[in-house]
Amino acid sequence: MTPHNLKVKPQPLRYRVLVYSVCACAATTGIAALLLRVFDLSNVVMAFLLTVVLVALRWGRAAGALAAFVAVLSFDFFFVPPVWSFRVSDTQYVFTFLLMLVVALVTGQLAARLRDEAVTAAAGEKRASALAAVATDLSIAVRSEDIARVCAARIGPLFDGHATLLLPGNDERMSSDAAGDMSIAQWVLEQGLPAGRDTEALPANKATYLPLSTSMRTRGVLVLERATKTPLDAGQIALLRAFQSLVALAIERVHYVEVAHETQLRMEGERLRSTLLAAVSHDLRTPLTAICGMAGMLGENEVARAIVSQADRMQRQVVNLLDAARMQGESVRLDLQWHALDEVVGSALAAVHLGGRRVVVDMPRDFPLVELDAGLFERVLANLFDNAAKYTPDDATLRIRADRTGARIYLTVEDDGPGFPPDINADSLFEEFARGARESAVPGVGLGLALSRRIVEAHGGSIAASRGTPHGARFEIILAAGEPPSIDLEDFA
Amino acid sequence: MNKPRILVVEDEADIRRFLRLALEREEMTVFEAGDALRARIEAASRQPDLIVLDLGLPDDDGKAVIRDVRGWSSAPIIVLSARDIEAEKVAALEAGADDYLAKPFGVPELVARVRAQLRRASLAGDRSQASARVRFGDIEVNLATHEVSRRGEAIHLTPIEYRLLTALVRGQGKVLTHRQLLHDVWGPGYATRPHYVRVYMANLRQKLEEEPARPRHLVTELQVGYRLAGLN
Repeated sequence: MTPHNLKVKPQPLRYRVLVYSVCACAATTGIAALLLRVFDLSNVVMAFLLTVVLVALRWGRAAGALAAFVAVLSFDFFFVPPVWSFRVSDTQYVFTFLLMLVVALVTGQLAARLRDEAVTAAAGEKRASALAAVATDLSIAVRSEDIARVCAARIGPLFDGHATLLLPGNDERMSSDAAGDMSIAQWVLEQGLPAGRDTEALPANKATYLPLSTSMRTRGVLVLERATKTPLDAGQIALLRAFQSLVALAIERVHYVEVAHETQLRMEGERLRSTLLAAVSHDLRTPLTAICGMAGMLGENEVARAIVSQADRMQRQVVNLLDAARMQGESVRLDLQWHALDEVVGSALAAVHLGGRRVVVDMPRDFPLVELDAGLFERVLANLFDNAAKYTPDDATLRIRADRTGARIYLTVEDDGPGFPPDINADSLFEEFARGARESAVPGVGLGLALSRRIVEAHGGSIAASRGTPHGARFEIILAAGEPPSIDLEDFA
Repeated sequence: MNKPRILVVEDEADIRRFLRLALEREEMTVFEAGDALRARIEAASRQPDLIVLDLGLPDDDGKAVIRDVRGWSSAPIIVLSARDIEAEKVAALEAGADDYLAKPFGVPELVARVRAQLRRASLAGDRSQASARVRFGDIEVNLATHEVSRRGEAIHLTPIEYRLLTALVRGQGKVLTHRQLLHDVWGPGYATRPHYVRVYMANLRQKLEEEPARPRHLVTELQVGYRLAGLN
């Protein structure tokens, strides 16, 4: 257990029992005086021995020992001639005294030990049943309020006082509205050591603060305020320790039950969300597929082309909206794999209609694999290319460059179009619903870049926009290079 | 030559109608099925040359239909699927599908894929004419001598690169998943290491493609696999 713990203090000697013991001897003397009228002196000795045994049984060792001495002295003083004196005329009485003292002491101590063992056994049984009762109550507790109730109702009375359970809030601070001294409770929680009465830390405090620790951490504090002045005995301390670990385990169990419950709720939520998104996605895609297909049936004419291109655009917006909704989720789950960057760039280029624009891809040979969610990252690049298609003239050039410097990978997408409007801050482009050309004829809701930034940041990277030289728009994505998995290279024959 | 017989399995009536119209315009005979039960019956009774199959059927999983049909037929299967479920596409391809089309798709795309698969099937059925030399673009592969050349100029490939290329050639335009390629080229122990394929495909692109980032023949199906386009 913890090095600092509850101290066992010696129990104070109870002087009252000694007084009782002397009184018992006095009473025996009186009775013996009466008995002496009928019985012989040697029988009176037996009455004294009986008294010593009874005193030891009733009031313990110390009282028994005292009674033995007082009995011998009384016998000498009151009954052995010369009476009313400690002097002894017949020397064989000295032997009687000695024998009487030894017999009284031995039987008295034996009786006292018997009593102690009976008391200990009774106390042990009481503790065991108390422990069992508390364990039963704690085992059915499902909330921390239940545990607090068990502490107050069961544990407090066993120590003649009040037991209060203090639990920290989510911020690991003790709330101040509970009973007791919060600064001590906070200290106990942080140190995992007991404090207050009967301990080494702040023993002047009237309550005892016990940490409720499990193998993981300290999860709460048990405050025990006892009404009596007597210190705890060894048995009580053992019991208290047992309660400490029982309650700590119960708190931990309840904690994990709550964690499991919350996780389940969150998973249900996420599942509902993705089911909903899949349904919406399907419901939006089906008419779009029909529209695209039907328009394709109209043959090669301007109207059909316009329908197809608008349906296509709508499709991309739907995909962006759905991805944005997906990325809003509490925990974005990325399907991270080691990909060749040129494959992702190539797929994104294939997904976007760039018209007559020239595309230059500048990527070193043997460029390392990059760990990313290819589907989402393709959306980032497709959005950038799409923007280039929207905001540059048909004869523009689009440059895509990848570099690795140290532990970072830089991917830049740059065009030589007109660039961002002069009154626009490049950073504000990444805000949701920001548009390059406000209220212009160029379609799009400005979701693309916001989504792109969210995806890149989910990868632990960053994306920034800047003005190209002499003109044009430039986007730079920075990703961590990571450690690509090793490959057993073949031996070149 | 008879008209090719196409079975269209799709639960949305509008999409089914446009698929039928588009394919009939291409001189094909089209049969329709709206659910998996009907699809199994039609596939068995009509003996189609090609099946276009939507994965989201109301009564059964499309993949189960693929597996059933593959039990007795080698007719090409083109799967229709949503864009964002890559795992579904992979599962469908590994169940035995030959290609997939992401919704929404245009008519020209559909017709091109259907024609390519029909051509592939007729080639595969006609083994006697199979040549030791295959071409795509400027590249010629001699399967007998293991020589690869561009316009007569030899290109050096490592043994694994060559095996990867021939696996794609054998696929004849079919989309091969990472797992299938790993199994064919490296062996069964490598199924969980898709980065191997990515690294060696990147090398192949560097050696065989004019513009490696915009490949015309060694086509990347992102998160699914690879396909060799333009083979003749």
